[in-house]
Amino acid sequence: MSLFWLRVALALYALGLLHALVTVVGRRVQTFRFALGAISLGAVLHLVSIVESGLATHQFPVTTFQEAVSALAFLIALVFLFIYWRYRLEALCVFVFPLVFMLTLAAAFTNEPAPTQGPVLQSVWWLPLHASMFFLGHTLLFLTCVASLMYLLQERELKSKKPHGFYYRLPPLSVLDDLAQKTLAAGFPLVTVAICIGAFFASERMGRDWPLDHRVAWSFVTWLIYLFLIFFRWTAGWRGRKAAYLAIAGFATVIISWGVSSNVHAFMKR
Amino acid sequence: MNFNISLIGLNHRTAPVALRERVAFPEDALGSALQRLKQETGVREAMILSTCNRVEVIASAEPDVALADRLPEFLSGYHGLTLDEVEPHLYSHAKREAVRHLFRVASSLDSMMVGEPQILGQVRSAYAAARAAGAIGGPLEEAMVRAIRVARKVRNETGIARSAVSVSFAAVELARKIFGELKNKAVMLIGAGKMAELAARHLRENGASTLLVANRNPERGEALAAKYRGEAVPFGDLLEHLSRADIVISSTGASNFLVRRDDGRQILARRRNQPMFFVDIAVPRDIDPDLNKVDNIFVYDIDDLQEVIQSNLKERQEEARLGEEIVDQEVNSFLERLQSLDAVPTIVSLQTHLESIRRGEIDRQRGRLGALTPEQEAAIEQITRGIINKVAHQPISQLKSGGGLGMVEAVRRLFNLK
Repeated sequence: MSLFWLRVALALYALGLLHALVTVVGRRVQTFRFALGAISLGAVLHLVSIVESGLATHQFPVTTFQEAVSALAFLIALVFLFIYWRYRLEALCVFVFPLVFMLTLAAAFTNEPAPTQGPVLQSVWWLPLHASMFFLGHTLLFLTCVASLMYLLQERELKSKKPHGFYYRLPPLSVLDDLAQKTLAAGFPLVTVAICIGAFFASERMGRDWPLDHRVAWSFVTWLIYLFLIFFRWTAGWRGRKAAYLAIAGFATVIISWGVSSNVHAFMKR
Repeated sequence: MNFNISLIGLNHRTAPVALRERVAFPEDALGSALQRLKQETGVREAMILSTCNRVEVIASAEPDVALADRLPEFLSGYHGLTLDEVEPHLYSHAKREAVRHLFRVASSLDSMMVGEPQILGQVRSAYAAARAAGAIGGPLEEAMVRAIRVARKVRNETGIARSAVSVSFAAVELARKIFGELKNKAVMLIGAGKMAELAARHLRENGASTLLVANRNPERGEALAAKYRGEAVPFGDLLEHLSRADIVISSTGASNFLVRRDDGRQILARRRNQPMFFVDIAVPRDIDPDLNKVDNIFVYDIDDLQEVIQSNLKERQEEARLGEEIVDQEVNSFLERLQSLDAVPTIVSLQTHLESIRRGEIDRQRGRLGALTPEQEAAIEQITRGIINKVAHQPISQLKSGGGLGMVEAVRRLFNLK
């Protein structure tokens, strides 16, 4: 049943994506309301699907690849709606909607056997905390990356002095810089705490081997990059282009680390 | 289609200003001109739109009135010109094209500067003048009301009026693209020229809070600062005070650069890399163009601003295409509505409606009368026909006399015609 709602949500996301593209490419301002409505309704049904899936398996639904991807997609949609409510950034949807759609698509059409749990995951009260903070944190860092990307595009328009399409469709630099800074300021502590929780319990269970898990190692690299970024933003007044490049580099390592180990965690399988 | 609306006119593309000014209608003469137009040409409704870029006469009449001939005659005759002087410059649209043209004009799609806001106001006052003169009230009025609505729709749903097309507004728009809101932003004027003052005023109106003025002549600088409740700073200390400014507008007659790339680095360090926007409208330039290469500093000189305006105009053209689509849709829906309110089909359906009632009643009651002679049969026919004809007479003659669209709608509802 949860899969049914997930697929309905997927259809709504597709509808939203389509309307968002029409808004931006075809310059139809009016259609954006449909896009927003479709995404909002999609997110609600998506939540229904996640809750149902959790009730069915009696655990926090992030243990399989499918569940993790679904939860991530939902969080991205949710954070987008929140940011839209605060900033009215239509342009953000071009980056966010395709990702939400792709992740949900992956979740809705993955045929996975019912979760077979390793002993590690039994009765772990910290897992929901670790997973949800980790995902929410990375969602925010993803938006830092998107805001930085839009910043670079808009900055290039302004420096070139020959405004084209982006100039008219992207928000002001200050708004983008502000968004990048706030999502970083919120996302980084979440990721930090999530990593600490994960590291603490991993070391407790796995002994000295735990840092050998690829995911854990890459998480530290990522974490360091973001630490630098925050440090320079606060102390040296870094903003704009330099900060944007570093934020994009940070998220690139996030993607690499996920590519390296597409399993949720290697040690869970043991 | 049965309606007869025609439009003739000339505009900035078809006629030189020397002719446009001769056929223009002063605002206070519109009423009497409309009266004369109705008398001379026998039109039912008329409206005259007269602005500095265009003069247009639009009228509706009975289907047999040749508007395309009579309106040019009126326009030239009224202004004491011969038809040959005016006619080569006239465009003439009938029916669908006339409505389309009206919608396009009101939506500012036909303007010299696409998207300019004045035309809608001018269309409105032309409509008001026609109403005041009692020259409008029928399909043309419907078209006018619709034109004003279409204009608002085009304005809201497309970007034809979004981007700036003057130097000072382009500067404000760029500042917005950098800073977002201009509230609490500080503006510094280097030099106190007219252009700089204008740009400063626009920025002030858009929320900029602080105004600093650095002028070589301190009195003039102080006077300008006082006028806008700003602060005059000594011209010699320019570079020190620059770090307080977010937006700098420079327009001095200096022959050397006042602010160089290295100055920019230092200033930026003092303000923790907060972005700065330099608008250099001086010729020769005051600000080193290399300053633009410094991160978080944006320098625009007068040519750059012109370039932005060119891009904005192109953007408006793109948006105008969307506007044309909206206009086409609205013309279709307007003509459909007009057709549904046409008097002739209403009269026909009223007659068939009454006839079907008559037939139905006779068929139901005929059995009770038994055998009748042919004369009696004919008498029944005649009596019943007479009744419905008498009932229908007044509504039909009202419809035929052109009681307006309201009448058509009323009759349709009273007799429950589909």
